[in-house]
Amino acid sequence: MSKILLIDDEPDILRLLAMSLRADGHDVLTARDGETGLAAFAAQGPEIVLIDIKMPGMDGIEVLRQIKDRETDAEVIIITGHGDVDNAIEALKLGASDFLNKPVRDATLTLALNRAQSKIDIRRQLRDYTSNLEHKIAAATQALQRQAHFQAKLINSSDNGIVATDRNQRIVIYNPGAERIFGHAAAQVLERMHLADLFPAELAREFAQGLRRDSKRREMPWRETVVVSAAGEAIPVRFSGSILREKGRKMGSVAFFADLREIKALEAELVHKERLAAIGQTIAGVAHGIKNILHGLNGGSHLVDVGIQRQDSERLTRGWDMVKRNIARTADLVMDLLSYAKERSPDFEDCAPNEIVREVFELVREKAVAADVALALDLDPAIGRAALDQRSLHSVLLNLLSNAVDACRDDPDADKRRQVILRSAREAADWLRFEVTDNGHGMTEEIRRKHFHSFFSTKGPQGTGLGLMVARKAVEEHGGRIEVNSAPGRGTTFTVHLPCRAAGA
Amino acid sequence: MTQKVLVIDDDPDVRYFSVSSLEEAGYIVLEAGDGAEGREMARAEIPDLILLDVMMPRESGIRLYRDLKTDVALRHIPIVILSGIGEKSFLKSQQALVAEGQAALPAPAAYLEKPVPAETLISVIQRILGREGQASRS
Repeated sequence: MSKILLIDDEPDILRLLAMSLRADGHDVLTARDGETGLAAFAAQGPEIVLIDIKMPGMDGIEVLRQIKDRETDAEVIIITGHGDVDNAIEALKLGASDFLNKPVRDATLTLALNRAQSKIDIRRQLRDYTSNLEHKIAAATQALQRQAHFQAKLINSSDNGIVATDRNQRIVIYNPGAERIFGHAAAQVLERMHLADLFPAELAREFAQGLRRDSKRREMPWRETVVVSAAGEAIPVRFSGSILREKGRKMGSVAFFADLREIKALEAELVHKERLAAIGQTIAGVAHGIKNILHGLNGGSHLVDVGIQRQDSERLTRGWDMVKRNIARTADLVMDLLSYAKERSPDFEDCAPNEIVREVFELVREKAVAADVALALDLDPAIGRAALDQRSLHSVLLNLLSNAVDACRDDPDADKRRQVILRSAREAADWLRFEVTDNGHGMTEEIRRKHFHSFFSTKGPQGTGLGLMVARKAVEEHGGRIEVNSAPGRGTTFTVHLPCRAAGA
Repeated sequence: MTQKVLVIDDDPDVRYFSVSSLEEAGYIVLEAGDGAEGREMARAEIPDLILLDVMMPRESGIRLYRDLKTDVALRHIPIVILSGIGEKSFLKSQQALVAEGQAALPAPAAYLEKPVPAETLISVIQRILGREGQASRS
């Protein structure tokens, strides 16, 4: 359905055409002359105009010209008399879309109207498409701009340093994060520097290789490294990089740097705090040891006082023994603390390790006899001579063997035949093994977890709580390791693996 | 009737010191060298007061304290802790056990941190047992 304006001076034809068009469902306006027609066109804006060429006053050609002046897209159909070819041609030149000969027949009229209508439709569609397209393009452009803006913002506000280059390694992106790390101002770097001017040599080389046409390398995964700032400061960073490609062609590179200075500072602080906590723990342990010793000295001197007052020699003796024992405990505690606190590098000396083992064995024998513990020795003659730190070996074995005797002595199982075996063996050309096995009370899981900790002792006043810790420290300083195997009620084996050097080397 | 005090301490010197001081003050003194022995003796003898060390091998004073204070027959017995461990650490370890879902316990009748002179030990115990001193042996 269209809005159609009919301009014809003959009222009968006008009425007839109007009736016919309305019957087809069109919206019809009519005018009896050119001026009225133009006014209706201006006021109503019909889509299609039918004009009779021959009219008194303003003729159809003039009306056509004026309509086309106003609205080039207006569909104007001219109605001509039979054979009036000149006027028809003139009208088509002026932009009429069609012409109809009089008398106007319904079929030809419908055909012409349909043609006009489809031209209008096509034009409207085209216009719609165009405006749609323009919208779409505008929207896409905006999105692109936003995205680019967003990316630029992202790059600028990233805490990480971001450095990107074109395929010739020239730096084209250098964000404030990179400024903070490298210290060069962006103006000095952008488009001016190449990667080799900014990055450490090794890193620059990697990118240069990655950008070579034949290189397959694309990603450089995160790793820690060090870059040097403009001021010459070595800055710890986490780094990752990639080679950028577009349609299979290398177009440049990008590198990301996370500044680790703050993290490293925090780590250092944490280590410091842990050390303080360890010192605090150590002091608490020492204080506990000293309080016990003081109590013993206190008690001992009280007994001595009472003994003197009452001429009670039993109390006197007991009190004096107590004082002496607590002096010895003080000495033990101080010695253990000192050897624990002292960093000592092993002193490799030619020796016969089995001799040291035998010496320790002799030292502990008396204590073992007193505790009713059978002490056995099982030496590997293949050990011969070797170079190792004699003092470490001596103190470690003495500690372990003495512990083993204590474990048997304190074992509540009275029916057991208590025994401790001390073994030596050569494991390899440059490794020795020493084992101390007892069948004493063994360790529960809880004790096994704590036995290398400071001031942990199951021996009450007999232990400083430092022995095993000191032993482990000595073994580790010697480059060896110490292992423990234990079952509650069945016994414990401590194994020391110690590296040695060939004698005389 | 003379009152009975049970001394539980693994250190023979400390034990001897406590025992002789208490005997001098006129108490009957029983001794135990570790937690298990101490518990047996407490059940058998029902002492009037227990003097307990915290750090002991085999069974710690922390656990023994808990056992004694949750035993219907024994929980009325006042316990005096004598230890090189600070009172705070002792209370903290008890709180840790309470946090694990174990019963909350009353605080010890007294907490003595080593070193403790004989006079202090005796006066604290006398205060708890409500006596101005037993007849001295001397």
